[in-house]
Parts: sequence; C-alpha cells; structure tokens
Amino acid sequence: MKTTSLRLLCVHICMLTGVSFADCVSAQATEAPDSIIQLNEVTVSAAPRKLATVQELAGPELQALSTTSIADALKYFAGVQIKDYGGLGGLKTINVRSLGAQHVGVYIDGVRITNAQNGTVDLGKFSLSTLESVSLYNANKLDACQSASEYASGATVYLRTRRPTADSLSLTGRWASFHTYMGRVNAQFSRKGWSGFIDGEYLNSKGDYPFRYKSEYEDTVGRRKNSDIEYGRVEAALFRNGFSSHLYYYQSERGCPGGIVRRLSDKYTNVGREWDRDLFAQASYNRMFAEKYELKANLKYAHEYLRYCTDYPENQNTAKVDNHYRQHDAFASVAGAWFPTDWLSVNIAYDMRMSWLDADLKRFSPVRREDQKAVVASQINYRSLRVAASVLYQHYKDHTRLKVGAADPLSRFTPSVSLGYTLKDFTFRAWYKTIFRAPTLNDLYYTQAGNRNLKPEYTRQFDLGAEYRFAAPHWLVSVQADAYINHIDDRIVCLPIKGTYTWSMMNYGKTFCRGLNMTASGRYLTGDWNFSLLTSLTWQRDLNRTDPENENSYNKPICYSPTLSFGITGIAAWKNYSLTVSELHVGERMWSYADPEDVLKPYNNVDLKLTAAVSKFLVSLEVNDLFDVQYEHIPRYPMPGRNFRLTFTVTF
Amino acid sequence: MLQKLKIATVILSIIVPLASSAQERIILLNEGNWQADNGKITYFEDGKVVSNQWFRDVNGYKLGDTPNDIIAVNDNLIAIAINWSNIVQFITPEGKAVAATEDVPNNRKLASDGDFVYISSYGHECKVGDRFVDFEKGFVAKIDVSTFKVIAATEVGYEPEGIAYYKGHLFVANTGGYAFQEPHEYETTVSIIDAETMTVTRTVDTKQINLYGKMSQSGKYLCINSPGDYYEVPAAAIIFDCEAALDGKPDEKCFVTLPYAATYNCVTLDGNFYAIGSRYSYYTGEYTFNYVTLDPETVMETEGAAGVDEDFPGNVLADLKKLGMPYGLYINPYTGYIYATDAGGFVEGGTLYQWSPEGKLLGKFGVYINPAHFLALKPDNYSGISDEIIVEQSEDAPIYNLQGIRVSAPAPGSIYIRNGKKFIYLP
Repeated sequence: MKTTSLRLLCVHICMLTGVSFADCVSAQATEAPDSIIQLNEVTVSAAPRKLATVQELAGPELQALSTTSIADALKYFAGVQIKDYGGLGGLKTINVRSLGAQHVGVYIDGVRITNAQNGTVDLGKFSLSTLESVSLYNANKLDACQSASEYASGATVYLRTRRPTADSLSLTGRWASFHTYMGRVNAQFSRKGWSGFIDGEYLNSKGDYPFRYKSEYEDTVGRRKNSDIEYGRVEAALFRNGFSSHLYYYQSERGCPGGIVRRLSDKYTNVGREWDRDLFAQASYNRMFAEKYELKANLKYAHEYLRYCTDYPENQNTAKVDNHYRQHDAFASVAGAWFPTDWLSVNIAYDMRMSWLDADLKRFSPVRREDQKAVVASQINYRSLRVAASVLYQHYKDHTRLKVGAADPLSRFTPSVSLGYTLKDFTFRAWYKTIFRAPTLNDLYYTQAGNRNLKPEYTRQFDLGAEYRFAAPHWLVSVQADAYINHIDDRIVCLPIKGTYTWSMMNYGKTFCRGLNMTASGRYLTGDWNFSLLTSLTWQRDLNRTDPENENSYNKPICYSPTLSFGITGIAAWKNYSLTVSELHVGERMWSYADPEDVLKPYNNVDLKLTAAVSKFLVSLEVNDLFDVQYEHIPRYPMPGRNFRLTFTVTF
Repeated sequence: MLQKLKIATVILSIIVPLASSAQERIILLNEGNWQADNGKITYFEDGKVVSNQWFRDVNGYKLGDTPNDIIAVNDNLIAIAINWSNIVQFITPEGKAVAATEDVPNNRKLASDGDFVYISSYGHECKVGDRFVDFEKGFVAKIDVSTFKVIAATEVGYEPEGIAYYKGHLFVANTGGYAFQEPHEYETTVSIIDAETMTVTRTVDTKQINLYGKMSQSGKYLCINSPGDYYEVPAAAIIFDCEAALDGKPDEKCFVTLPYAATYNCVTLDGNFYAIGSRYSYYTGEYTFNYVTLDPETVMETEGAAGVDEDFPGNVLADLKKLGMPYGLYINPYTGYIYATDAGGFVEGGTLYQWSPEGKLLGKFGVYINPAHFLALKPDNYSGISDEIIVEQSEDAPIYNLQGIRVSAPAPGSIYIRNGKKFIYLP
C-alpha cells in the first residue's frame, strides 16, 4: 500500500519515538547529503510492529538537530545519560538506563564496534554525516535474522549507513567557536544496482573555551587548556542489494584535559595527550532463499592504535609515560533464519571474534582473546500476539604469557523473552533480558590494576511498555511509555585494596534501578509547512544496593544519575528553510554521598539551528547552549557554554 | 624564662582552670577524590566534629585537590602539602591561611625544625629563589617560613616520600614508585641530608624496594613502610635507627626489616609504633592482614627477633579489624587518645574513630571522603602533663617539646616532656 501524505511525513520526519513508524516504513529513500531534503520513493510495508523498545532519529530530522557527533543525537533519547569530559576532544560515552557504558553495544550496519581493551566506544569518533539513522534499542532489536553478538549487550545503538540513490559530489566547510574549522568532501554514486560513497573529513579545533565556576566560596574563570583536537576521517562504502561493505579510517591527536582544581597559577597543567589510529573494514551479505530461509553473514577486521603520553615539562604531577597500545580484531558471523509458517520464525547464529592486544607497559605481554557466541531465537507472530525468546551462549578464552596467567575461560547461557499484543492503535509489550559483560582485557590484565579473577558483571532487565500511534492525512501522533526495573550485580570497578596503597579491579556493587521512559511526538503537515514536535522524558530512581551494613550509601541514589531529565525539540520547516529549537533538561545529580553539596546542578541547554537550501547551496547556522549555561557531566570538567557553528555545503 | 631555671626541682603546683577550654583538638585532612578539587579539613574538638570544611569556613575558599600531609611547624604555624594542587599551604592553628607556594610541584610529605619546612617531591622542577632548578630524580626543598620561599632544593632518589628531621639531618625514604610506568627501577634507599647545607651526606641502602607511604618517627627511630611491588616482593616494615646512620655504622646495622605491612603507622606515647596494613600480590589476588605493635628499641637490639606484638590497648585491635577500609591511624602526642579512619566505599564520607588512651571506643564521627592525615593541636590548657618540673639524667623514654613534637636532640637546660612529666634536660 502507498499513501502519499503518510509517505511525505515519513520521509520528512522519521521518529524520535521510533517503533511504529520507523518500522512500518522502509525508507530507503531518505538519502540526502547533509539535510538537503529530497523526496523519493517510499515503501510502506505491512510488516507488523516491532516488539522491541526502540527510539530512532533518521533522515532530515537527524540532520535538523544541532549535532556534531552521535553522542549529540543520542542525548535526545529517553533513558540515555551522556558522559562527557567536555570539549570536542573529550571522551564521550553513553549510559542507557544506568546499566553503564560497557553494557551499551554500538553497531554499524549490524556489526559491533568493539574495543577489547576497555570495552567502551568513544562516540566522538563517529560522524553523523554518513548516517541514515541512529536508533537505540533497549535489550534486543528482534529482527528475524540477527547475529549472535546483536543479542549480547544490555542496550544497543544501531547506526545505519545511508545508501546513496543518486550521483553527487558535495563540499562542506564549517567555522565554529573556539577556533574550530572543518572541511568535508563527499562523493557518492548509484548506478546499475550498485551504490557507494567516499567521505572524507578534517577537523581542527583548539577547544579553548571559557568557563566559570561561581559559588559562595569560589569564583574561578579560565579557558580550557589542552582541550584541542585534530582529526581526519575517511570512509568508503559500497552496496548492492543484500551486500554492503564499509571501510573506515580515523586518525586523531588530542589533548586530554584534567579537572579544574585549585592552582596558584597556570604554570602547571596536567598534560596528557592521545593519538588514535582506528581502521576497520567490514562486509555483510544478506539473502532470502525460497521465501523460507534467510542467510546473513558478516566479516570484519579492525585495528586500533593508541598512544598516550604525559612526558611534558608542564606536567609535574604524574609518572612520565609514553605508552603505545595496539589491538587487532577479526570477526566473522553467520546467521540463519527459517520461516516454516507465516507466523513463526527461528533464528540460529554463530559469531567468532579474535582480539589481540599488545602494549609497551611494564609487566605486560600480549593477550589474545577468543570470543564465541551462539544464539537460538524464535519469534511467533500470531494475529495480534507476538512472542520472542532467545538463549545466547557465550564463551570467552584468553591466552597470554603474562606471569599472572590468563583468566579462567568463561562460559554462560543467558536468556531473554518478549511479549507483545496489539489492539487497534495500541501496542502493549513486556520483556525480560539477562545479559553480562565479560571483564575487558584492561580489567583483567592491566599492570597494577588488573584482576584475573573477576567475574562477569550481570544485568537483569524487566520492562513493561505501551505505545500508541495515530495517523491522519495531515497528522501523525505517537506516544510510548516504558516502565523498567534493572538489577546490576557484581559491578566491575577499580577500588583500593584494603590495607594497601594500591588499586585493583574488583567485583563490587549492586544497583537496583526503577525508571520510566516516555517519548511523544507529533507531526503536522500543511501546504509547504511542516511542523514536528519531539519529546522524551526519563524518570529514574537508581539505588545503591551494595552493602546493607553501610548506612551512608545503602539505598541511596547512584552517583551521576539524574532523577528527571527531558528533551523537547521543535522543528518548523517551510519549503527549503527550517528552524529547529531544542531544549534539554538534566536534573540534579549527586556525585558523592559525603556532602549534600556534592551535586552537579541541574541544567537546561537550548540549541538553535537554522537551515536554508538555495539551489546547490545549503547554509546552516547553529547556536548551542543559547543561554550560556555553565554545566558539567563530571565534577570539575566544565562543558563549553554558548557556541556557534556556521556551515556551508555545495552539492553538484 | 623557664629555661633559665637552675634549681634542681621546682614544684610550680599551678592548677589551671579547665573550664571552657578545648583539650582534644584534631585536624584531619580528607583527601577527597582525585581531580575533583574537594580536599577538605575536618576540625574535631572534644568529642565532636566542629566542621568538615574547616579551611573553607575560615578562609572562604577551597583547600585544593588531594592534601597529602600536615605538620606543625611551630606554635603558630601549620604546613599542609596539597599534592594535586601543587600547593604548600600555611595556616595558623586557628585555620587561617597565611601563605601558599606552588614552587614545589607534586609535593608529598613534610618535616620541620621550627624555622624551616622540608618537603619531598616527585616532581623534577623546583623554583629556588627566583630561578627554576631541574632534577633528573626527585628532590627535597627547604622553605624558610619567615619568607615562605624555597631557599634550597636537593636531589635525592626517584619519587622521595617520607621525610623526618633528626639532629640537624633529614631522613628521606625513596620509593621509585613510578617504576611500574617509568623506565627506572624502584628505589631501596634512605637519603640523609644535612639540613643546614642541604647536601646529601649519606645514602643507606635498605635492600627493600619502594619505601612508600606513611613514615612515623619515635625519637631516633623511624617506621618506614614498603609495599613491595605488589607482585614478587611482598610488603615490609623497616625500623630505621637514625642515630646509627649518623654514627657511621654500616648500612645493615642501621635498620631491621620486618615481614609486616605498615601501610598505616603511628607512634605511641611510650615511643612504640602501631603498624597496620596488608601484604598483597597481583599474582595471587590474596592479601594478608597484620595489626602489630613494634617496640623499635627491642626490634633493633634483637634484629627483629623480638619487639613485635599485638599489644593494642583495650578494644582497639578488635575495633580496627572491623574497619571496612582503614585509611589513617594516629595517636594524639599530648593526650594519648587513639584515632583511626575508615574510608568506607569511597563515595560516601569516611568515618573517624576515637578511643581513649586505655582503648575504649569513645565514638564514631562522620567526616569527608578519604580521611587520611592527622595533626593534634596543643590542648588549650595543656593539662595532660603535670606541671611539676624535675631534673633528671637521660633515660631512654622518648622526649617531647612543650608543643608535643618529638625531640630527638634535646638541648641541655631546656624543658621537655618525658613519660608525661616536664623535666629539664641535662645530658
């Protein structure tokens, strides 16, 4: 079936709230180099609604937000906390429903981005410019045919690369605050069933933004130092039907600024600098056979190089290190699905990953990790009822000549189950998932911290949700709400060893979380006008359940976790002009239990983006943190205040 | 002046009224979290915490990041080493800031002879007068407290830590603690510096690596902790005899190494050490706790065969064993009250424990994050010491000056305290 009005809406505005809309539309057509709005063929399929809890930003809506990295886009999702050490060069990770950054899997076109060394993905390294959509799935995505590793994280972020549908060449230049300059070239083609692109970007930023700490006992003003970044990124992709491939290279040098602490002058800065070289190549193939079988295969090789150096005269405060870390990672997966009837599907998949880590640390030897996963999953889709269940098996085995020895092999089964029921415009769902994260190679083997006896960190998630959507010729409304309970056991943390001056990784800590995630969106289309309003809200109560004897911390809220946060984004578009206003509120977060003053203040960030497309040219002006609110994600790591970005793109 | 008294025995019999005067006055440094700029001072007086942000209350601004040591320079001046802020902060006993210097970056531990402050540093640069001096290894700086300027700095081993003043000399324990990250090896030595000339006069090799952390002084004896390397070399406690080292005795006669961790150590009123800690190895992931009392004289005489005990008063040992994460240990040199801190889970405020000299637990007090370093202030009306002044010949009990600071080289004819009694020292 095809409906014109719905099509227009879908293309213009895929959803923040996700599920229903993003799913019912396979919008292969929203290709648009940097927010030039092009309408193409859109197929609205009759596929039933997804069972998963999903939020998605796609197409022009994604481009309409004032964003530079994936982290900027994800902060608008319900249940997401961004951890950001500030500035362009700072490490950006996300935490979903307080599970912790290492429980969030990030996937590009279905293949996970991994880091065997520390298990986290710095989202600042990935650009939105080549992406079609960014989606966040709590628990599983629940496609009929998935690789095993897609079942293996507590929450999953899917980045879908845009498939070009026409030939074009575009050049972009950007000037932004704090001495930031960016240039980008994108060439893409689409012919004879093949499509692809090459995308290159270079950025240089001093990141020397001003900050101010003002309280009754402090008035500190300054400019962020050692917060610069320079990077180059080149990506290429090639697609044909069920085949897709992606080549990615990223190289950067950045400063790693420290916390702003009392100093008598600026003479000493705790300088650390970091160099990254990341490369990956991946290919996927997906095909249906005889309308009853589906096969999906993925191959990936990744190499990561990291150098960290603190040997500078301005740094008198730490050991003078100059360490180099190298990782190789090879991944292969095969997944098969069988559809014996039109209401049943069975998914069987096997993944194999090999990771090597070497570092010139003292007392370190190379470590090799074999990571195998297998899954059996099934989905029933009978009338209005949907059921999905899976059992995942994971096996980890490390090899090393480190004297401490390799950790014992780890083998575990973990289940998940989902139920859904659709009644007219309403869908109700409930799901449960248990998953763990294996200790990373740093957790196990890092010199003077690693602990080879670590147990995996387990999460158990329960979710009860409902969604409603309503579509009329000019209207589209969608609301979803999920209440959840999470338990996290055996948290892997670094703590001092009792009675010594040294630290070690340990399993310490239990967390009990309850929360409510809501999203609501509305779109209205009339004539040349196009309005949308996207909102998300998170209420959560995360409690420390570590030590019942410890009255100072037991049942207290988890540090850094806000009780309430919400985002509101309004987009108004007329012909080729658009204005986006977004407001993000993050509530008060405590960062220690020691003093009621140890809180990060609530903040509101208002961003504006104005875009105009005139013939081949696209101009956008962004103002971020319009009211120059000073805020932090980590105490004493100030975030930039008001800043501007002016971007020109010309497309041939 | 009292020092001028030449009479053999004077009974002053002055009974000072005790009303409205604080007896038990403790300053406690809470290190806070690294890079969070939340180092705080707890001021504790007569059974209650007056403030957990005393420095800020008095001065209107924050102390800084990771205060690491505190000492009394003299009756009117206290020095604090604020490590990550690169600041040596001087305050009065009332908490008022009088001076601060950043000329000694990455400062660690403090010692004083009353006129100068000596401070160890892991850094490689020191501003001496108006010029910057570079060092390959670590150094000890000498700050003149009349000007609060560094007047000399001397290179010692890599990452020098504990520092003590004895008979005009500084005894500096070298750690080489960055050895697990930097190309050099762990240090095993104690550097001895002539405090007057700031030259290294001798280096004693203890054969034990990484002389790191708290170092206590009891007269001529030091209690030095070595955590080992946390792999092959287990932790050890070293009893070091400064007098022997100054006398030129061979290295091996200057110290005794004991198979105990002294992660947290302090000196008792009768001149012994308390040492608690654990010996840990990353290879096994196991640790062994010890809670020992050390009599340094017996340890030295018997080369470690005797002098080690678990002789804690009253309930102290049982209570200490219950601490989740011990983080500091101290005995008030004026009153003998015993203190320990528990850092708990590191995100909540720590707990201060107080025992009477007899070992009765008097209370637990909520303090701030990572409470670690203590300094007792002299009681307002110093009644812990009898005012009967006696003259006697030297005996071996430790000697304190009237400020309660242990004195290793008493001056003839001056009044000191020994065994809780004032006396005029005659050699």
